[in-house]
Amino acid sequence: MLVYGFINGTIYALIALGFSITFGVSRVANFAHGGLYILGGALTWYSLIKLGLPYFLSAVLAIIAVGIIGALIYRVLLIRLRGLELSEVITTFAVGIVILELLRSMGLMGYEYRLPLFWEGSVDIFGVPVGIQRIIIVIVGAVLLLALYLFVHHTKIGLSFRGVAQEEHTALSVGINPDKVSLLSLSIGSMICVISAVFILPLGTISVDDGYDVLIKALAVCIIGGLESTIGVIAASFIIGYIEVITATYISSSYTMVVALASMLFILLVKPSGLFGKSKEIEERV
Amino acid sequence: MSKSFIRITVFILAVLLLAPVTAKAASPAKGEPIIIGMPSSLKSLEASEALKAIKLAAEEINAKGGVKVGNAMRPLKVEEMETRDMEPGVPISDALLAIEKLFLEKKPHAVVLGPSRSEVLLAAMDLYAQYKMVSINVAMTPKFIEKYLQNPEKYKYCFRMGDARYVVGYLTKVMEKLKQDFGYTKVYIVVQDVLWSTAIGDGMKGWLEKNNWEVKGYDKYPTGASEFSSTMMKAKQSGAQVIVPIFDMHNSGILVQQWKDMKVPALMAGFISPLMGSKAWSTFGDKIEGIINVVFQAGNIPLKKYEPSTKFYEAYKKRWGEQQSGHMPSEAYDSVYLLVQAIERAGSLDPDKLVKELEKTDFVGSIGRIKFKDHQFIFGDDPKTSAIAVAYQWKKPGRRVPIFPNSIAEERIDKPSLMK
Repeated sequence: MLVYGFINGTIYALIALGFSITFGVSRVANFAHGGLYILGGALTWYSLIKLGLPYFLSAVLAIIAVGIIGALIYRVLLIRLRGLELSEVITTFAVGIVILELLRSMGLMGYEYRLPLFWEGSVDIFGVPVGIQRIIIVIVGAVLLLALYLFVHHTKIGLSFRGVAQEEHTALSVGINPDKVSLLSLSIGSMICVISAVFILPLGTISVDDGYDVLIKALAVCIIGGLESTIGVIAASFIIGYIEVITATYISSSYTMVVALASMLFILLVKPSGLFGKSKEIEERV
Repeated sequence: MSKSFIRITVFILAVLLLAPVTAKAASPAKGEPIIIGMPSSLKSLEASEALKAIKLAAEEINAKGGVKVGNAMRPLKVEEMETRDMEPGVPISDALLAIEKLFLEKKPHAVVLGPSRSEVLLAAMDLYAQYKMVSINVAMTPKFIEKYLQNPEKYKYCFRMGDARYVVGYLTKVMEKLKQDFGYTKVYIVVQDVLWSTAIGDGMKGWLEKNNWEVKGYDKYPTGASEFSSTMMKAKQSGAQVIVPIFDMHNSGILVQQWKDMKVPALMAGFISPLMGSKAWSTFGDKIEGIINVVFQAGNIPLKKYEPSTKFYEAYKKRWGEQQSGHMPSEAYDSVYLLVQAIERAGSLDPDKLVKELEKTDFVGSIGRIKFKDHQFIFGDDPKTSAIAVAYQWKKPGRRVPIFPNSIAEERIDKPSLMK
């Protein structure tokens, strides 16, 4: 239970990280997150299976393609709506639905759409057999978090991200272009979303319906942890990850989703900005 | 006489002579079409393949001249309507609105397949009664019969070619076989938390407990769940020798992955839709070796010992490519044929006359011999006398080997490699 709760938590963290990064910097709640996740998986599958490209190259191409789409979403649509939170949400949600339903109508239906595991087999951890793919997911989660930490603390662009996240107008006064940073944050958030898809989707099959589930999971994690807080996202991921496994083990597997979402409602009642959320402005949005 | 005059004359003669032949070949059925309505969740794999099977049957019938109604030959026309009832979060009322829209806009003479989700079928039965719409449905809930028997006169327009109870019947016989062949007595049940699969899970639990099996656990997962490790751990710790999974969601592939990764020494025997089609082996590899899956109707898998099932399977493959779902296409295909037979016998499209003729159905189809009792098709173990399901086992190198019922079984059950 400890082992699988941890892995489950890491999967949640990976799913939510892209959403959180985008919101943390640009204050755009990217509701196209689920659509981009499935699009990334589908593009990887297409390059790998249909075009016969190597796995790594297929994944990189999908990450770049979805990164560009993320940037375009900002440049073409969101830049005109900046500050209109409800319009941003509706627009990104619409983009997500368009992506998912387009994929469905193009034939992404059925069970043959599956990315191969990176590594077959399993190993014992504390006497519990665990698939190697799940261990890879944990490693990727840790590496991604470290890379993000280094990026935002030790690179010029990363520091500009933090500047815009802290105070957009002040950042503008010192020569940082908030629109450029927001565009980059949407692009990077989308790329992280595809990275998580490439590692998580091999556990099952690629399905359009997963896109909607992924969005709900990302929202649940971000709301519990605090929409703009990366630490909060990590904490919330493990909370939900363990809640699910404990519920399935000791209460009933029927209630895994109910308990996870109920915990979100509870947190909203007690601390409307989430466990690690600080901004009053964000509290009001939530 | 000039050469050009001769050429033109020959050309005109040829056209006149060949015209009736070519016209007959291109448009064999004339007259006002008979409209078959198909309201279902068309974006689901099962319903989308069933729609193709219905179109295949209609094409075959039209190519042979159409349907004889009285003295006229009339073509079949298929009109589909998206109900989205298999999609998560879609209210039953929305699906019903779509069905009613089909009735009002396309004015079908009968409905084939119907909504996929059981909850929607139960609600749609009142709509069928209200519009006197003859329907041959496939959704699996046993409550269909209960509702029909509450008021047979009102619900007489509803027929059904599916039932979760016979899946229970099949699985229980597979369990008897496992007990007999390998001495297994401990079982763990895990199902998707929706009406049809919990009906099968509950039925299995009741039967197993009455028949000296130890039911070590019974877990239900909501649609969309993607983490099954707790069930696998409990199954392993409890010493279960058989796991009975009942799922039609795509995430159930993860269940199989975790079963293999966690090295659970238990045979899987149930219904997992991602493992149903012929491509599952290339998708999942030899991880699925040894798993026993129940195809709800013959025809959705080719059977060496029952030719009509193979005939349909191959015709579908030739027209549309390999089918991947374990239920709906073959029964949808047969539904069109037995509906057409009923129309021809009745010589009319009057719904009351059609109902009477459908009640007399005795049709040899791809799923076996089809007869109705209480508007529910009769199910058994021999395709020569009744409709059948097929339990098969995945064996190397990617073969789906029928293992039950005995009338069509091709090989014996093998233990999965983890249990040898």
